[in-house]
Amino acid sequence: MICSAYRLRNRSAMWMMSTVLLGMLAVFSLSAHGQTLQEKIKNHQPVVVGTEDDYRPFEFVENGKPAGLDNELFQLLKAEAKFDLRQEIIPWTGLLAGVSSGKYDAAVTGALINQERMKAFDFAMPVAANMHFYLKRKNDTSITGIKDLSGKTVGVQSGSVLLARLPELEKMIAKTGGKMGKVVQYASYPEAYQDLANGRVDYVVNGEINLLGVMAERPGVFEMGQPVVETPSYVGWPVKKGNKEMLDYLNNFLRTVRANGKLEELQKKWLKTSFKNLPEHVEPNF
Amino acid sequence: MSDLPFLLQGAVVTASVSLVAIVLGVPLGLALAIVRWRRVPLLSPLVALYVSVIRATPAITLALLIFFGSPSLGIVLGAAPAAVLTLLINTSAFNCEIWRAALIDFPRDQVEAARAFGMPPRLMFRRVVLPQVWRTSLPALVNEMTLLIKASPALAVIGIVDLTRAASRIGAATYKPLPPFLAATAIYMLLVMLFVAAQRYVERRVRQRFEMA
Repeated sequence: MICSAYRLRNRSAMWMMSTVLLGMLAVFSLSAHGQTLQEKIKNHQPVVVGTEDDYRPFEFVENGKPAGLDNELFQLLKAEAKFDLRQEIIPWTGLLAGVSSGKYDAAVTGALINQERMKAFDFAMPVAANMHFYLKRKNDTSITGIKDLSGKTVGVQSGSVLLARLPELEKMIAKTGGKMGKVVQYASYPEAYQDLANGRVDYVVNGEINLLGVMAERPGVFEMGQPVVETPSYVGWPVKKGNKEMLDYLNNFLRTVRANGKLEELQKKWLKTSFKNLPEHVEPNF
Repeated sequence: MSDLPFLLQGAVVTASVSLVAIVLGVPLGLALAIVRWRRVPLLSPLVALYVSVIRATPAITLALLIFFGSPSLGIVLGAAPAAVLTLLINTSAFNCEIWRAALIDFPRDQVEAARAFGMPPRLMFRRVVLPQVWRTSLPALVNEMTLLIKASPALAVIGIVDLTRAASRIGAATYKPLPPFLAATAIYMLLVMLFVAAQRYVERRVRQRFEMA
């Protein structure tokens, strides 16, 4: 008697499962994945951009509100958008993955443009240029120039363009007859600065804009040295490779803010510097 | 400290996301355990597979998979639903094993006695098995709840600003990581203690009601 009751239960359970599976299949086939900008607008679906949550001075959250260059640019973009444009703020770890998986239509973030990233993304025209500099402890008198970096331990973010361009510094040090020291990779820069202050590393390599921010926030602890590359890296917003409509849309907007001086005004406000004659398109050789 | 409201906001996020996952995850775990316990054909091996896959998947991987994998399945999930779903799936697998252990250990003679009186299986489960099984499972379930709260910082990766993420943002802005993390630790302890206190209270009430004699 118990058996028959069981069997009945099983049958209804199986029915339920197959219904659920069929429903899921139906949803998959109506997949909203990989739509272009125009299709999304036509279907009244929100266009979503992702922004990093802790990358001063480009984008960060202050008192619960988004701030920084990219976030102010996004506010301008949103103000003139004639469709549902939304923003999600997430840590760097998942940001680019979110763009390549189609979760986000673009990342409004201060991403450095390099060849590796160009393989998976198209970049809108850059919003800033960033020379790479080294940062040292202010009281460390053993470093006065590039040649003194020989044999010293350097801290740099893993997977970053800064790390990718370290060979250029290696060549510069070799020219002075020295040798590149140990390279320590960090998940994020705040930890690297911490270790620089603690003396675990002797210098940290990062972009000029970022280092100026660090110097302003912790005066008296660190000192900026010389450039460690010949040419600057450029900072731009990635969209998924081939998403031309989104790319054109962002470029149109960026062209406007470049022309009316708004971009320069925001660069001065957040980056404490401004860039004349930023290129429209970047072909990095690193 | 002017950052305290931000930290408390993070604490509310941690508590509410965990709470929803727990409220849904405990019964879901029971349902899965019953499927396994009764050896429901087809479903039972599926549940076994589900449990072993989920138990082997770190919460952070699961969160990334659900959040970034969902669009390619045509499902648009916001960060908050994805976060709840992550914790729910995670905790349901562990809860399933807790319930199942209690069910397997349930005294056979009671089941046979109930059958001898002609009790239908559903009624037997409701009146004989469940009232005893949930009491034996309670300590392990509460233990899993506290583990779940501490697994929740993994959700930061999909943009949930939980207690840990709030603390780390404050630390990055002030260059003083210690105070926010100490405050966060205190809040985590408070949250966990609340759950344990609730468990004690329930256990005491149950004892008063059923074991007075």
